[in-house]
Amino acid sequence: MKVLVVTSGVPFIRGGAEILADNLCQALSAAGHTAELIFIPFKHYPPSRIPEHMLACRLLDLTETCGVRIDRVIGLKFPAYLTPHPNKVIWLLHQHRTAYELWDHPMAGDLIHHPDGPVVREAIRQADRELIPEAKAVYTLSENVSDRLRRFCGIAGEPLYNPPAHAALFHNNFAGDYFFFPSRVTGVKRQLLVIEALARCQERTLVRFAGEADSPRELAACVDAIRQLKVEDRVEWLGWISEEQKRELYANCLGVLFPPVDEDYGYVTLEAMLSSKPVITCADSGGPLEFVVDRQTGLVAAPTPESLARAMDALWADRRGAAAKGEAGRARYEGLKISWENVVEKLLC
Amino acid sequence: MLKINWFSPLPPARSGIAQNFAMQLLPALARHFEVVLWTDQDQVAPEVQRMARVARYAPDAPPWREINDGAISVYHLGNQPDLHGGIWQVSMCQPGIVVLHDLRLHDFFFTLWVQYRKDRASYLAALERWYGGEGRRAGEAFCRGGISPESMAQEFPLTREAVRGALGVVTHSSRALAELKETPVCPIIALDHPYVPAGEPRYRQWLAARTASPHPPYRLVVFGYLSRNRRLEAVLEALAGIPEREQFRLDVCGQLWDEGHIRNQIERFGLGSLVKLLGFLPESLVEQELSIADLAINLRYPSMGEASGSQLQFWDYGLPTLVTRTGWYASLPEDAVAFVRPEHEVEDIQSHLRAFLADPGAFRAMGERGRQSLENNDPEKYANTMAQFATMVLRRSPVVSALALAGRIGNDLSAWLHPAASSYLLDRASREIVAIWQGKTGSHDE
Repeated sequence: MKVLVVTSGVPFIRGGAEILADNLCQALSAAGHTAELIFIPFKHYPPSRIPEHMLACRLLDLTETCGVRIDRVIGLKFPAYLTPHPNKVIWLLHQHRTAYELWDHPMAGDLIHHPDGPVVREAIRQADRELIPEAKAVYTLSENVSDRLRRFCGIAGEPLYNPPAHAALFHNNFAGDYFFFPSRVTGVKRQLLVIEALARCQERTLVRFAGEADSPRELAACVDAIRQLKVEDRVEWLGWISEEQKRELYANCLGVLFPPVDEDYGYVTLEAMLSSKPVITCADSGGPLEFVVDRQTGLVAAPTPESLARAMDALWADRRGAAAKGEAGRARYEGLKISWENVVEKLLC
Repeated sequence: MLKINWFSPLPPARSGIAQNFAMQLLPALARHFEVVLWTDQDQVAPEVQRMARVARYAPDAPPWREINDGAISVYHLGNQPDLHGGIWQVSMCQPGIVVLHDLRLHDFFFTLWVQYRKDRASYLAALERWYGGEGRRAGEAFCRGGISPESMAQEFPLTREAVRGALGVVTHSSRALAELKETPVCPIIALDHPYVPAGEPRYRQWLAARTASPHPPYRLVVFGYLSRNRRLEAVLEALAGIPEREQFRLDVCGQLWDEGHIRNQIERFGLGSLVKLLGFLPESLVEQELSIADLAINLRYPSMGEASGSQLQFWDYGLPTLVTRTGWYASLPEDAVAFVRPEHEVEDIQSHLRAFLADPGAFRAMGERGRQSLENNDPEKYANTMAQFATMVLRRSPVVSALALAGRIGNDLSAWLHPAASSYLLDRASREIVAIWQGKTGSHDE
């Protein structure tokens, strides 16, 4: 089949969604299909830009190329998934979240600060309600994304899990003296919460943060917090790291910290499980809660510095327990039968 | 319960909207909505703060984060730029429901733009936007003093400028809006101006006070914010022109647009002993004044299209009233008011004054009938209908983005593409905009 994977994103920002899109194309090719990625740049501010991008996607014609029919379009992200095609399937990574559950979120909310925010929010919701059902089938990245789609738009979507890139290369070495927190540095990933928890830990815990900051402002906020809370000697700030470095940092850590705000899916959780490491997450973290079983494969804390500190102390003080939870996490991952073959089969059926 | 942002003049502001409309409606409104009262006034009366939460805004930098916690904003617009200028400014940034307390808003825009902001260009641009070159030329002539304010308000009311981009419009007079031929493109609803009449025992007290001295001189009252269109000069001329004038006393209550001019007129007509200028009256004196008055004169010409809160107040006191047969007033029951024709103003006023002297009882019965008609003005009914209307227009709010987007596309294409070439693109874009916001899908070529 000739398949186009259609997604959108912010130029120069590369995160899990961009990696997923690449991996999907590779998986389609590996299954014998001709696949290509259409990347539509998306600028989400000021709010009036958003309807323009929605319209731009609607005006695309992906029905054929040089007289040859395109058999399937797979839409991933807003507003790219609005692109029309008679054989479109949506694999919904997420909707435009600040028009939905993050509308009034203190850190993530953006539309709410603009006078035209409410009408643009309603335009986005209306378009989703009307146009997502155009697709022949709607899959989602996770149960969490399905739940939001059902709750806000009344549309059913089947969760379709996918493995992290290079899943086979993740491994476990030994439990070192640090927690690992790989993520983009941005408000919703909550590096600041971890820094505040670190200052409240009874144990001399240490955290290695890896990942680039979305903006210099976000980075400065973390650096300021580290200085003010006097935890400079218990933090390592690694910035960008290679995939190999990342796997080694997973393999050698005591456990993985991943307490984001209502994450869609969260490869970090899966990568930790593949590395046989326990995961500390929060009760409002969304996607990770589909995989982390509290006190079996990790710990689920309340989203407060105190609760997170208690979980970090508990894992730090019980290294044998931490290892056992990590092994249980790996076993759970194996049991879920997550594979690209399954993803491709579903999206093309 | 829907949370609404209510942008309105509030007491102690000297306005019928603040003193009467808001105070009458807010208790009922608070039963249907979670109300946040937004104000840029320096002071807000304590009794208002007991009815709903009061929040402050600066018109140049409204706190959008907090405003956007509300489901919808309701903006009250009228012809007093000091009270409505900030509200209008916010309404231009965020679409909401606009309540038109005046329908002819030329005075508002002229004062705000030209006199306050020294921004003649925006004033002329608005006239051109809605009335083309003719509007611009009239605006230029008006700025030079070549056209009267009344004529500008009649010919170029700028109503559509006030409701530009609104999600919905509320008026208190469907007839006046229809006559205006300035119908907005959004949903419109006409609601009866809310009013809570005083209880029957209190009314009986007022009647007793009035009938305590059933003989001349009879007390006439003119009331409210007295701009030129309140026809005070015609009232003075009419009174001066009848031999029976000594049988009347005229109390003028309210802020005058030009007190010096009116004093000159009183002197010119020789009415110094019959007419008193009382200025703005506090609530306690209003009651005293209206309970002993015999006939109210509530003229408007030209009418700005508004429903009159003071008319409802006159009826509450059972006061017979002379009104101009124009705008909202023209829709009042024939047996509850006495009409004055704009083109025979002095003649009609004099005729009614003579009729009053001949049969004061007939006029009192007219006031009684007016009071009975107040049952249509139940604030509970107003708030309930407003809640339904707000819910309806909220469902339409995506259309605002669609229209804004269509406008931007049109502007952009016209800047670089020949009209012949852009027609296909415009058609395609408009079909897709409809598809996105109205759900008429399937526009792709299959």
